[in-house]
Amino acid sequence: MATPRIIVVGGGLAGLAAVIKIAEAGGSVDLFSIVPVKRSHSVCAQGGINAAKNLKGEGDTTWQHFDDTIYGGDFLANQTPVKAMCEAAPAIIDLLDRMGVPFNRTPEGLLDFRRFGGTLYNRTAFAGATTGQQLLYALDEQVRRYEAEGKVKKYEGWEFLSAIIDSKGVARGITALDLRSMELRAFAADAIILATGGIGAIFGKSTNSVVCTGSAQSAVFQQGVYYANGEFIQVHPTSIPGEDKLRLMSESARGEGGRVWVPRKAGDNRPAKQIPESERFYFLEEWYPKYGNLVPRDVATRAIHKVVYELGLGLDGQAMVYLDLTHIDRETLDRKLGGILEIYEKFVGVDPHVEPMKIFPGMHYTMGGLWVDFDQMTSVPGIFAAGECEYQYHGANRLGANSLVSCIFGGFHAGPNAMQYAKSLPAVEGDGGAAAELARQAEINKKLMNNEGSENPFRLWRELGQTMTEHATVIRQNKGLEKADAKIVELLDRFKRVNLSDKSQWANTSFAFARQLKNMLELSRTITQGAILRDESRGAHYKPDYPERNDEKFLKTTKASFTGTCEGPRFEYEDVDTQYITPRARRYDAAK
Amino acid sequence: MANRTVQFEIKRQASPDGPAVWERFELEWRPGMNVISAMMEIAANPVTADGRPTTPITYDSNCLEEICGSCAMRINGKARMACSSLVDNLEQPIRLEPLSKFPLVRDLQVDRSVLFKNLMRVKAWVPVDGTYDLGSGPRVYPQQQEVNYPLSNCISCTCCMEVCPQFNEQTGFVGAATIAQVRLFNNHPTGKVLKEDRLRALAGDGGIQECGYAQNCVKACPKQIPLTNAIADVGRDVIGQKVKDWLRG
Amino acid sequence: MATAHVPAARPHVPQVHRGVEPLHAGEGTSFIWRKLHSLTGIVPIGAFLIEHIISNWEAVQGPVAYGKQVYFLNHLPLVRALEWVFIFIPLLYHGLYGIWIWLRGKANVVYYPWAGNWLYVAQRYTGLLAVVYIAYHVATQRFMGVDLPNHPAAAFWKVQRELANPWILAFYVVAMIAICFHFAYGVWLFAAKWGITPGERSRWRFGWVCGVAGFILMGMGLASIWAFVSARYANAPENPSLGFQGSESRDQRTALALKPNGLTVRIGNPSQVADAHAGL
Repeated sequence: MATPRIIVVGGGLAGLAAVIKIAEAGGSVDLFSIVPVKRSHSVCAQGGINAAKNLKGEGDTTWQHFDDTIYGGDFLANQTPVKAMCEAAPAIIDLLDRMGVPFNRTPEGLLDFRRFGGTLYNRTAFAGATTGQQLLYALDEQVRRYEAEGKVKKYEGWEFLSAIIDSKGVARGITALDLRSMELRAFAADAIILATGGIGAIFGKSTNSVVCTGSAQSAVFQQGVYYANGEFIQVHPTSIPGEDKLRLMSESARGEGGRVWVPRKAGDNRPAKQIPESERFYFLEEWYPKYGNLVPRDVATRAIHKVVYELGLGLDGQAMVYLDLTHIDRETLDRKLGGILEIYEKFVGVDPHVEPMKIFPGMHYTMGGLWVDFDQMTSVPGIFAAGECEYQYHGANRLGANSLVSCIFGGFHAGPNAMQYAKSLPAVEGDGGAAAELARQAEINKKLMNNEGSENPFRLWRELGQTMTEHATVIRQNKGLEKADAKIVELLDRFKRVNLSDKSQWANTSFAFARQLKNMLELSRTITQGAILRDESRGAHYKPDYPERNDEKFLKTTKASFTGTCEGPRFEYEDVDTQYITPRARRYDAAK
Repeated sequence: MANRTVQFEIKRQASPDGPAVWERFELEWRPGMNVISAMMEIAANPVTADGRPTTPITYDSNCLEEICGSCAMRINGKARMACSSLVDNLEQPIRLEPLSKFPLVRDLQVDRSVLFKNLMRVKAWVPVDGTYDLGSGPRVYPQQQEVNYPLSNCISCTCCMEVCPQFNEQTGFVGAATIAQVRLFNNHPTGKVLKEDRLRALAGDGGIQECGYAQNCVKACPKQIPLTNAIADVGRDVIGQKVKDWLRG
Repeated sequence: MATAHVPAARPHVPQVHRGVEPLHAGEGTSFIWRKLHSLTGIVPIGAFLIEHIISNWEAVQGPVAYGKQVYFLNHLPLVRALEWVFIFIPLLYHGLYGIWIWLRGKANVVYYPWAGNWLYVAQRYTGLLAVVYIAYHVATQRFMGVDLPNHPAAAFWKVQRELANPWILAFYVVAMIAICFHFAYGVWLFAAKWGITPGERSRWRFGWVCGVAGFILMGMGLASIWAFVSARYANAPENPSLGFQGSESRDQRTALALKPNGLTVRIGNPSQVADAHAGL
């Protein structure tokens, strides 16, 4: 048969990894990305990438990496793919090294490794504080090479709208929108790989990039693809609240002695330095005298939430607490934390040597995602998924520096599997449903463009973000989640009256955003309802009413499917593959 | 601080051939406000300072952490990243204009794909044999890594090209960013294998010779990449390559 | 590739303009011409500038010394060929190609008033001024009026008469400053762009070297101009004896043969001639 034609949607690490594998195997790729692929969200990753290379003489093994990952994920991840990922990780690092990633080095010229959360081993390779950027660039360069050879065609500035699914339920291509000319087009393919990242935008402000809306995942979810473990959302304890987004502040600030506090009195508006020691509430140190400010991430995140939302002690009445480094001398700070303090100063305009930083937990990562089998294929034949947009590698909580390796491994896995699938695919009958899908999309577009009403999509989005952040992040109460779900229903209804202030047919960002928003709203119910149904606490999912993990009932993957009714998605549960490591209690206050 | 406001003047242009008009906006000041958050505010409430309804601003943005390179624009006349431009540090009214050296798409959005094409023309990649497991990469000593890492931090924002007096349609100059990438890949143990190709490419029309060494690039670079050093080093190598080619020719 | 299109019910879809073209990798000849421009600025033009300023320095010693220097230069072997190959043609090329470079740059020092950017602009304007000045200077001093190659002794007198006009004097002074700047900064640029000074510190240090050297050249040049206009050598003779056999021009020799102690006055008004005689 002819050269398989694969569409990859998303040009982050996972997407590019898949593209490289397909091009290398002789396939032909159309790569779709909203932004030029070099600007994908993967650039934001800082810390590093895990691989048990054992170059520090610690006896680290891929099994240890596997165990740490499963344990960190509170045993919710299927063990077979995680084991494969951990075993492949050292070779992935070698490959990236060969591709020219400027990893930090030992004096002997070998890769340097550092330690990260959730492990006792120095297992994290890193390139300064911009590892994700460096990795993405390395893959981007390889893809550019294939592009020069004509094996890859990039559609940058195109947004994926939907999959084209034929009468037998097999994916045959996609529809996409040119964000400049607003042209709607159908593209045929033998297989599609979605590598469309996280869903941060559903939470309004997050550490994610602007394009991380989850719109593509939601679109295929609405076309019948299962969405798994949607309720598992990682919230990082220390991010820098900004007017436009939340920026990450590394854990190392606390490692170097940073102290987290708020004024004891609500509404105390004095500048930080004028508040005497006795009127400061160092809540982490008071509540957790043993670990103090260095309690594990989820504990710190929950504590900060409690201070702000339950005790009402947020700074200036806002959702913020101090992360104070001012008691440490400038020289030490610059030597050990220079880079991140510079970022804080640049974006906040305040010198953290002099004034305490204002931080707050920030929505950071989506553990859940499109359900895929061990070959990275979703429940619709021909639609594959890789990277943060699928659910497979992190269980209930992701370990630091595991995201980059899971993205690349997922892409490397999805690419060849998609090729193999495409080779044995029966020929398409007729247009495979392209015309019908195109007509459906054209109708949606027309309706949206001409819609009458008074709702502004950006304001609806803010309301969604506020309610999701309040009820569906750190601490979850069924009552709050129900409120959030009802709010989403309300927003879905108000969306019907959305009125675009921009009716132009050229680079209309409001139009594109409104389409994303609709998808965000539909997808967000998998989070709220998935969380309502999971009456336990596991990893990042914490319910004070159900503080314990309940393996008997919930050692299961949540699978949501779209119904199109106002009740929301339908849920079913699937057993977790635990064939290698028997689940055990997860606690970080002692050696596991 | 209750009623403090921020004044913006934004250059609007609905399409590449449409007329450019200035629109004024007055927004409520908020602590930590940056240019991006102001434009988000306008999107949520698209009304000009004189109360006229308008459309949300079209602009490029993504990470908002000055690492993706999307949101470069001219702010009070100077090319810089909108995400790291804090309102409190800017003179008002804050004037926003698109980059002037790149074809306009709409409002503050321009087409900067020329940089990616240039990177392709100079083969800015390490030609690995394949992605299968071939063992460890070449040894790279920390000293070498410390030279390469800053060059590898280029976020493709194109500020260096925008501020360069030589980067324009007459010269077709390739710009500092691409030259720095040539320096990076020529310095890599494996990337080196394409060194001659890259140097010859840079001697083509629009190549490194068009640099006027005004050094604006290095001043404007938000990532402090040693661009002028790279231009000097690569300049020498290109001359060496041309001489070698001539003598061997 | 596309399997279906939505029928375009849109009369006009805008097109993004083309913008700056991507690199013409390895194509064209602009590299060699640009590098030739750069190189000619150093050798031979820069070298000639230094020679010229050193030669002019002789003016400080007076009309006779100056005349001798002009005589010496004009008696180098193959001097006419050297003059064309190493001075006029390179100057013409450097000047015209330089204007071409200037025309294609888009100065933006208004928005980016940074030191390097000012120097970039200054290099272009000083270059332009140099072209105008040198064209005038070569035309008037080399090809018009007294033919100095044949009358080297008249050099001082000729320059002095030229500089008697305050506007022309000002032009000379400004041009001298501009050219010395253009040369000094040009050398610095050459070192930077040819990769001789690839580091911040080396460029900074070499900047001092070029700056000091430029000021020395400029000082010497301005001192020479001063020599022509100062009271010390006021009313220099048109044709001083250079004091050695064969220093006279052919015409002079003819004239001497005709009138043993006479000097032929070819141009200039009678009073000047009288002054010139008195000076002798």
